[in-house]
Amino acid sequence: MTAPSDTSPLLRVSGLAKSVGSGRLLFAELSFALAPGELVAITGESGVGKSTLLNVIAGLDRPDRGEVIVETTELGALNEAALTRLRRDRIGFVFQAFHILPYLTLRQNVALPLALAGGERRTIEARAGALLGEVGLGDRGDSYGADLSGGELQRVAIARALVHDPALILADEPTGNLDPETAERVLALFARSVRGRDAAALIVTHSSAVAAVADRTLHLTCAGLRAA
Amino acid sequence: MRVLLLFLILALAAPAPAQVRYPEVRPGVLLRFPADHGAHPAFRIEWWYVTGWLTGEDGRERGFQVTFFRTRPGVGEANPSALAPRQILFAHAGLSDPAVGRLLHDQRAARAGLGLAGARVGDLDVAVRDWRLRLLPGNRMVATITAREFALDLAFRPTQPILLQGKRGYSQKGPRPDQASYYYSVPQLAVSGAVEQGGRRVGVTGRAWLDREWSSTLLARAAAGWDWAGLNMDDGAALTAFRVRDRSGRSIWAGGSFRHRDGQLTELGPDDVRFAALRRWRSPRTGGIYPIEQLITVRLPDGLRRYPLRPLFADQELDGRVLGLPVYWEGAVRTVGGRGYLELTGYAGNLRL
Amino acid sequence: MDRLAGAGATLAFRWLLWGEWRRHPGRVVLGVLAIAVGVALGFAVHLINGSALASFDRAVRGVNGSADLQVRAASRLGMPDAAYPRAAVVGGVVDASPVVELPAFVRGERLTLLGLDVFRAGAVTPSLVGVPAEGQEAAVFAEDAVFLSRGTQAALGARAGEEIVLAANGRTARLRVAGAMPGVDDDRRLAAMDVAAAQLRFGRLGRLDRVDLKLAANADPGQVRAALTAALPSGATLSSADAAAESGDALSRAYRVNLSMLAMVALLTGGFLVYSAQELSVARRLRSFALLRTLGLPRRGIIAQVAVEGLALGMIGAVLGLAGGYGLALLALRLLGGDLGGGYFQAAAPVPVFAPGAALFFLALGITAALGGSILPARAAARAAPAVALKNAGDVIDPRSPAPWRLALLLFVGGAWAAFLPAIGGLPLFGYLSIALLLAGGIALMPWLARALLDPLSRRSIRVPAVDLAVRRLRGAPGQAAVALCGIVASTALMIAMATMVASFRGAVDDWLGQVLVADLYLRLEGGGSLDPAAQAQLAAAPGVARIDFGRQSPVLLDPARPPVTLIVRPISPAAAQGTLPLLTPVAPAPLGAIAVWVSEPAARLYDLEPGEPLALPLGGRGARFVVAAVWRDYARQHGSIVIDGADYDRLTGDLGRDEAAVLLRPDASRVAAREALLARLLPELRTTAAMAEPQQLRRLALTLFDRSFAVTYVLEAVAILVGLAGVAATVSAQTVARAREFGMLRHIGMGRRSVLLMLGNEGALLGLVGGVAGVLLGLVLARVLISVVNPQSFNWTMATLVPWGLLAGVVVALVAAAAGTAVLAGRRATAQDALLSVREDW
Repeated sequence: MTAPSDTSPLLRVSGLAKSVGSGRLLFAELSFALAPGELVAITGESGVGKSTLLNVIAGLDRPDRGEVIVETTELGALNEAALTRLRRDRIGFVFQAFHILPYLTLRQNVALPLALAGGERRTIEARAGALLGEVGLGDRGDSYGADLSGGELQRVAIARALVHDPALILADEPTGNLDPETAERVLALFARSVRGRDAAALIVTHSSAVAAVADRTLHLTCAGLRAA
Repeated sequence: MRVLLLFLILALAAPAPAQVRYPEVRPGVLLRFPADHGAHPAFRIEWWYVTGWLTGEDGRERGFQVTFFRTRPGVGEANPSALAPRQILFAHAGLSDPAVGRLLHDQRAARAGLGLAGARVGDLDVAVRDWRLRLLPGNRMVATITAREFALDLAFRPTQPILLQGKRGYSQKGPRPDQASYYYSVPQLAVSGAVEQGGRRVGVTGRAWLDREWSSTLLARAAAGWDWAGLNMDDGAALTAFRVRDRSGRSIWAGGSFRHRDGQLTELGPDDVRFAALRRWRSPRTGGIYPIEQLITVRLPDGLRRYPLRPLFADQELDGRVLGLPVYWEGAVRTVGGRGYLELTGYAGNLRL
Repeated sequence: MDRLAGAGATLAFRWLLWGEWRRHPGRVVLGVLAIAVGVALGFAVHLINGSALASFDRAVRGVNGSADLQVRAASRLGMPDAAYPRAAVVGGVVDASPVVELPAFVRGERLTLLGLDVFRAGAVTPSLVGVPAEGQEAAVFAEDAVFLSRGTQAALGARAGEEIVLAANGRTARLRVAGAMPGVDDDRRLAAMDVAAAQLRFGRLGRLDRVDLKLAANADPGQVRAALTAALPSGATLSSADAAAESGDALSRAYRVNLSMLAMVALLTGGFLVYSAQELSVARRLRSFALLRTLGLPRRGIIAQVAVEGLALGMIGAVLGLAGGYGLALLALRLLGGDLGGGYFQAAAPVPVFAPGAALFFLALGITAALGGSILPARAAARAAPAVALKNAGDVIDPRSPAPWRLALLLFVGGAWAAFLPAIGGLPLFGYLSIALLLAGGIALMPWLARALLDPLSRRSIRVPAVDLAVRRLRGAPGQAAVALCGIVASTALMIAMATMVASFRGAVDDWLGQVLVADLYLRLEGGGSLDPAAQAQLAAAPGVARIDFGRQSPVLLDPARPPVTLIVRPISPAAAQGTLPLLTPVAPAPLGAIAVWVSEPAARLYDLEPGEPLALPLGGRGARFVVAAVWRDYARQHGSIVIDGADYDRLTGDLGRDEAAVLLRPDASRVAAREALLARLLPELRTTAAMAEPQQLRRLALTLFDRSFAVTYVLEAVAILVGLAGVAATVSAQTVARAREFGMLRHIGMGRRSVLLMLGNEGALLGLVGGVAGVLLGLVLARVLISVVNPQSFNWTMATLVPWGLLAGVVVALVAAAAGTAVLAGRRATAQDALLSVREDW
């Protein structure tokens, strides 16, 4: 995959439409783009399809219409295996519920995307260790999830989302399970890490704190997107 | 004087059960024919022994041997079972073909009875399973033998009268008078028939020799083996010569006969027969060392006569060890002006008597 | 191509696998154990069968000396000498060896005496020829010489030159040990002597028991057989060593197949256990897998991971199982003998021979079971949409989703169809297929059945929330219940089926014994002794005797490829037959000139006989005609028996001797006095071999033997049920632990810890009840197949069904208790955590 130029967007969504099983339309004619180093927040009421939008962008769900282009790759043209590879190589995820595997060490959790890509153990563990250091948990690599607080767990999750240098980071309510103070610290770390890499991040959130760190906020309603 | 080991064990080595009384061999008993061609079941051992030279349609000369033994082990005589081993029969056949270079041989053994084996009294008809030797009307003797590697289908016609060995058929075999047998021969038998080898049947003609002996006690205790030769001379004469050796190889006893072509018979005593080895052959199989070329010297009324014997080929050793039979050498031999058979026993060192 | 599932991602695999195993070592151990137990049982039974069969085969070939073909006397009366010369001259026969073969006793030891012609045996069966000891060379034909195999020498402690007294066929003879039989295996007990001497000494003059034949290498066996058959006198049949070995194989084949099947059941149960353990572990890790899919693990990667887990479990378990199986076989052979107490083989206890082929087979089977048990749930997990799974908390439960039943119905129909198909080669293979299909159907029906059983409960409003919740949960998630139950349902069903079959069998045998043992006293001569008419009259006149029936049992060969049937000689008449034998059919009148015989049920089934049909018996020359008068029930002789009236037998064979007697006493006679009187009237040499028994003793003995032969069945059943119970415990506890958050929530909304535990206990009990009821129902269906299909097809007898209700109730109670108990125990652990924590916790 060729490196994108500074000017070309890392994510371009155009004319996207998706309805749920019962035929209820979630969104239609969604179009937006993310430039390198850009953090965009998506807000909206429950049930308008924020998470679905993220899933479609991640290739976990298919849109009814429209296209999603990550860097130069159009997702609609990819098969299941290629989508899996794209997620593994170019996309990072942060979840509300952290999803730190309890039976792996933190270092292993962080290194998981690299391990899935087939990396050599020493290299990827070193890389995971560096990322843990970056999120301030450099000395906790051999601990397990059970030993950590929620904020710490989400920092581990951020490290895992960044460990393979993705172009695009997708976050679904990353601070939803955190108290406001912790949330603020974690968000700052997240924003710093994304910008420092010239990656782009799309954050689905209810939280105004998140919107405050974002470069732009898009509000998703039944009618479509509008800038907040 | 030709015997197999198992036969010997059965017939001689085993002490006769007390209740069994075997007839003795005595001088002066008149032999009658054809009755005496048949079996003498009361005696402990008996044999019919045919040896000879054959000339095939294919031009090859072969030697052959067909032998039937009968023994009365003295066991089961009171047992009414049809399977009781009152009489036991062995048969042995050999074929010496120089193209093969070794002796082909096979054997049969069975207890007499149930129509599967037997030796008829009063007439020559001995059979062990599918092997048979019998006298047909017209004084013609026939042998049918189907062995592992060959088959013989031969008819024998006498050209001379019966030759009574020893003193009118009483033939002493040791220093004691009771170490003896009834012994007659029919030399110069005219042979016709066929030999089958590897599925190929070859018509043959030739000259053969019948030896007949029966006895109850035969050998001296000191005997370790014996040499025997029967020679059909081209002019119609017949020479029989044998000696019994002790462990050191010295003769304990010797004898034989010479019948001139005009029919005049000379009995040979212990001092009239000498065997001298000319060439020895070592068997690669058994390690036995056999004097396969011998010089037989006999004293005849007209002086000493020498018969150098040369075998048809060296390896005519008969190794019967796998079947519990002895190792001995039984071969076709040539002499100056005649052909016949030489038997050498007790040279492979395992002939236990 | 995506190579994620390949070598590149092994590191991730390793992490995930080790992580999972470190977290749940108990589950790993259970999975390994389940497979190990299954493989061990299967392999052990196979080794035992193989060793026993090998020793039986050696025994057959040992006595027969590997002749190409044999002419055998069809009955103990032997065949005339003439069979030997006639067979010997048939074209294609190179040599023939006449043999007298008699069971014999020396110094209380049982052995086989062979009378041989050393010349013939030397050519046909050289391994049987005795070799004289040093100094005994003359003994080859001696009438008093006997040669002993090493096994006999060891048993008797007899050396060359010693005298022994040998008893056979009711005679004894003083013989001299003349040498050994070096060609005979060490464990065979043979003695050889001259054939004519054996005929004379043991009353066999003019008779032979077999003629061993050596065929020409180029002979056409079919032609030789045809020529022989035409040439042989009546009373002689043809048989080859293979046929004899085959009949030995047939001897216990059905029994061995049953054992193998039980072992397979254990293995199957193990497979189910792995399945339920993996299913659970997969369900629990559904979100884990979803995360991995989101992070870039392809679908195949998940299947591969679970498969690798299963493979590892299977491999470790199977290897342990092989080692365990070998040890088990060793132990069982030492303790129970080659037939596991079945009483089929007389030989000394064999040593198991490690069978590499079988080991590989069972290794593969164990791994396959584990792999299959893992891949099925993994496929389901891989199909789940990752985005949904990530969001969803735990299992997707929708009480409205219908419980599947179509597959189950299909399997049931297939099972029923297979039950009506005939046996293949004397084995009830379709019967077993039927059982497998019914079993699979029963398990497939579990979700539906769970719902059907719980529906009535859930419609009723239950006041106690603990019970109400329990019912609703199980009804709502019948699939989970089914997962927990499939192992235990399978093992319970099979156990119930076996238990019902065995109980029915035992009951039938007990009834039958009551019908058969009607006399007051039974007398039997061991060691071939015989009572002639004079001795019979003596006994009949003994004081206290009201009536005495003399009999004789001897093997008779009807078909050389089958074990001989037992010919029972006793007084019987068509008019009085009903009182003498437990008849199963009405008596068919015999046509004039035909002799009525009474055929046992196994004989009727094996030889396809019905009342009124003619039957060829090798008795009394070719002229005699026999007709089946009726079929009677016999559980004692699996290979069939035929009763003939004593007078008919005497007339046909001239064999007036008898070796058994059934005595009816006068009402006022004392049993003890009658016993003594009878014994006193026997010839002195028979007294020591005479055994007397009363019906109660015989009945006790018979039932003891019965229980002994089924002991291993019980053990295997118990193992299967224990494995199943362990499965229930593991599954219930795992499911309970997995629901910790649910319990946290319930406690938040005001349910006490005790109530939660009560709910869990109820759930467990309900689960056990459902499993027990399902297992019992399924088991009764399977029992029907066992009793009405498998048993008649493999043992050739029928019986009435007798349900062991007590045992069934016990099993259900045990299941309910075990499931409830483990649920509560697991619940204690699950609810011990802080309620808040369990709500907040991820998984």
